[in-house]
Amino acid sequence: MNEPYAVPVPRGYRVGDWEVREPIATGAFGSVYAARRAGDAGGASPAGATDGADAPASVALKFLPTGTGTPRYLAHLRELAEREVRLLRRLRRPRLVRMYETLTVDDPGEPRLDGATVLVLERAAGSLSGLLAADPRPASGPLLLAQVCEGLAQLHRAGWVHGDLKPGNVLLMADGSARLADFNMAAELEGTHAYTPAFSTPDYTPPELLWSEIGERGRQTRPSADVWAFGILAHLVLAGSLPLPGGTPAARRDAAVAYARGTDELRLSPELPEEWREIVRACLTRTHTGRIGTEALLRRVAQVTAAPVDGRRLWWRSAAFLRARRGKGHRVLAAAAATAAVAALAYGVAGPTGAGPDRHGGGGPGAGGSSAGTPAVAAASYGAAELRTDRGVPPAYRLLIVETAHDCADAHVTPALIAAMLKVESDFDPDLADPARDEYGIARWTPRVLRWWMNEDGTPGETVPEPPFPPAESIPAMGRYLCWIAPRLDDGLPGDRRVLIAAAYRTSYRTVNDAAGVPPQYRDYADRVAHYLKEYTPAGRT
Amino acid sequence: MYSIIVVPPPTTEDGPDHRPQLRLAPGERLAFGRSVPAGGLTVPHEGVSRRAGEITAHGAFWTLSNLSRRQTYVVENPEGAGEHIKVAPGRLDAPVPFEFSRIVLPAAGELLPVEVWAPRHDYLRTGDGDEGADGDGAAGRRDGEPTAPAFSLDRTKRYFAVLAALCEPRLRGAPHAPLPTVDQVVERLRPAWPAASRTSVQWNIDYLAVKLRLKPGPETADPGPRLNGKKESLVSLALRFDLVREDDLLVLAEPSRRALR
Repeated sequence: MNEPYAVPVPRGYRVGDWEVREPIATGAFGSVYAARRAGDAGGASPAGATDGADAPASVALKFLPTGTGTPRYLAHLRELAEREVRLLRRLRRPRLVRMYETLTVDDPGEPRLDGATVLVLERAAGSLSGLLAADPRPASGPLLLAQVCEGLAQLHRAGWVHGDLKPGNVLLMADGSARLADFNMAAELEGTHAYTPAFSTPDYTPPELLWSEIGERGRQTRPSADVWAFGILAHLVLAGSLPLPGGTPAARRDAAVAYARGTDELRLSPELPEEWREIVRACLTRTHTGRIGTEALLRRVAQVTAAPVDGRRLWWRSAAFLRARRGKGHRVLAAAAATAAVAALAYGVAGPTGAGPDRHGGGGPGAGGSSAGTPAVAAASYGAAELRTDRGVPPAYRLLIVETAHDCADAHVTPALIAAMLKVESDFDPDLADPARDEYGIARWTPRVLRWWMNEDGTPGETVPEPPFPPAESIPAMGRYLCWIAPRLDDGLPGDRRVLIAAAYRTSYRTVNDAAGVPPQYRDYADRVAHYLKEYTPAGRT
Repeated sequence: MYSIIVVPPPTTEDGPDHRPQLRLAPGERLAFGRSVPAGGLTVPHEGVSRRAGEITAHGAFWTLSNLSRRQTYVVENPEGAGEHIKVAPGRLDAPVPFEFSRIVLPAAGELLPVEVWAPRHDYLRTGDGDEGADGDGAAGRRDGEPTAPAFSLDRTKRYFAVLAALCEPRLRGAPHAPLPTVDQVVERLRPAWPAASRTSVQWNIDYLAVKLRLKPGPETADPGPRLNGKKESLVSLALRFDLVREDDLLVLAEPSRRALR
């Protein structure tokens, strides 16, 4: 019912040091354009410029029509622009989009632009709404939700409420990570609540705010409003549908009211993964008082995304993943799995805006068999916080490695450990075949041993499997075995426990326990694992 | 979280400014008639059926069931120049699309009005439609669902003219101008709305407070119609969120002059 306030800006227009390129998106209160650094300044004056010089060569410019000469001159747009600038000036957090500087257009010749506020922002590759348009249930969903939740926690800890969390306001960066953006509705807390302008996106508005009373300062909101929106978002991303029934926002708004009044129950989609049901329920409580707090939410989301309890169906082994695994040849499977999550991202980004290839800058090493540029870039940095990107771990296996490690609740089974073991076992060779020792594939599985670890539900295979063992089977099976070994090693064994786990994988946990450490004949193996473990672990982690 | 308001027919006990209002949330039903179970709306008139009908609230609209055996009910749009719908006897859950409605119950030669308001109607903001169409090509696609303002006003309704008249002095460049009195508003609106009266303007001010979900100020504890606070709050809310802009003051012009422009 409310169309966006589009701000048309011609291609090539100069603002400060920036030259406007193609439009990216138009939101409710302004338009966002790609821009690149042009060199000599002109056309605008820095207004409270911060660190424009730190900005990369390519940024996003958000134009908010605050000028007195714009036909859409509206007093409240000025206030909305000020909110966003105030927040971004004060807060710089890893999960919030970064602002480099603000500019004011000084161009009497262009009355529609003169006086507009321009935010120079970090350039995103796309948004969650773009990703969902391409893939309603993206495999990267849980990971992105965990990052959105981190962003909310960073915002709430700093004393702000976002006020308009929805897919369009979650930006996806080139490495596939998520950041919160669009702080026009953001409000600083005064005690337990804040005042927000009377705008909202009905599908993400908690029932207590739907028809809330509005005072002269706007309406009261609380961090719990963002928690409700997170519950809606999580359901949408993981189940592919909104939790409240109805074909239109108005019908869903009625459903939200009926639910809040207690006349209707919350019926979550059966598609919503088991481990998320309680989280979504805790967000979507009837009243704000019963809603889970942000810190508790963050812990629970971290639990299910980083370390789901074994035996359950795990998110990244989604139906699509399994179909791909069964339906196609073995050789390219790992690459397909590793890039599935990020390929969708790239589609959501490049498709609707028609971006040229220049958008993805230098690119990166090809991700095993994939020819598109962005999937390679994103796959190459998948899980970068836990697994270094510059030490030769093949990008094609990063998602498998990182998620396999996350499937295990034991803190010692890390992405770096799995990567180090694969390096030592096979040098990441998916086609390894060593009939003399009866070991095959990237993890050097012995067929009669793999039989016990091949099924994700923990049941042994009906028969001894036959090679080849593609990485998409080998690596998760390795993770299951490592996760089983870890608690069976005696406490107090000398040395790095992760290396002991690796040694037990080579022999058995009993042998390691009996030898009270790495048995002598496996020292060389253990040393090499220890070497690569150190090599692959990012600085600041152990 | 009500969405529909029912105002019963006036009785001799109610003062002119104090008709009770029954607020219904989506899904709630209100039975009305001469003798209805507790919680219903009793219309104590010999000519009305014991169970005359039922109103069911939805979000933006409501439905009417005619439970009488013989009588057709007419639902009028009081601002609709005669626009009305008929609900035949026995018809269940007939949807009513008007923002304001008056159910007229025929009762032994008398007509008893039950007013029903549906303040959650949504409207396109003027001008936004064309601009959005331009904007799609010129400034990129819209990303996801829109962020919507919490208020939705119909600029053709009388309440909008009343709000515009209240805001006029401040919109014309005197930010601290005193607000017009109700009588001044009546005078200002007369060219475009010859039947305007103190009561009808007052009614529209009350309706606006409901429609815009104005937070009741501290004065509501006081008995008596102290409307200054309400008018003041309405105007500051309207100006703050640009619900009325200078070009909207056109609604105050005489219809003939409006046509000329």
